[in-house]
Amino acid sequence: MCDLASYDSGNLMSDTMQSSPIEISAQSLAEFEAAARRPLAVRMRYAFIKTYKPILDDVTYRSFNTMKEYRKWCNDNLPGWLGYNSPEPDSDG
Amino acid sequence: MASFEYRQAQEIRDVFAHHQVRYLFIGKSGLILLGFPDTTQDADLFVEKSEANGAAIVHGLRELGFALTDDEAAEIIRGKDFVQLKNGPFDLDLIFAPDGIEHFEDAWKKRVVVEQFPVCHPDDIIASKAAANRVKDRESLPRLLEFRTYWHSKNIGKQES
Repeated sequence: MCDLASYDSGNLMSDTMQSSPIEISAQSLAEFEAAARRPLAVRMRYAFIKTYKPILDDVTYRSFNTMKEYRKWCNDNLPGWLGYNSPEPDSDG
Repeated sequence: MASFEYRQAQEIRDVFAHHQVRYLFIGKSGLILLGFPDTTQDADLFVEKSEANGAAIVHGLRELGFALTDDEAAEIIRGKDFVQLKNGPFDLDLIFAPDGIEHFEDAWKKRVVVEQFPVCHPDDIIASKAAANRVKDRESLPRLLEFRTYWHSKNIGKQES
């Protein structure tokens, strides 16, 4: 199983690109197997939910010239608990 | 706004096929099509950035019921990197330049087809999420990597053509 606490983003990226498989926990395996038994329409019915997201849902159209601009807008405007925040593109970290 | 439904995914698929739009489901919505059991709020499409494809996207979106102004349509045809649409029957993100994926053509060649839905390869989706490095991506990555192992072992969503 892949433990989030033991990974930084660099390690996660490395693991992503490696071909060596990650060990699957018993709980995850059970969930994946259960999902695989459901038809796609059923999987989608339970996968897509709609809740109001402040600011993000307050306009009907939004566009950005670059992903960097979009990430900065998220960092500057969205509450952290929505999870859209990321390290500043120009930061050294 | 109601949740995105299977029927609406079919409508995207059929309308975009009619207009010959070059696109791939990406993000969590793409992974769900591939069998990943999780929740999300909207559909994300990786669309090829070209004027012809942009025009096809605009035609398709209007047929699907998106109320695009002429200025918004012009932006999509020009190809912004990211467009968020909440002016239609469901929420849709158009991503012309996803993090971690260099060229649409590369992703297209690796695509997986599930019930005729074109989907980014899970390796590409997960690499893109790792590159985006948002808080919610970091939280989901360990389970996504488990799913990647599972998917490869089962070859779920094997390419149909």
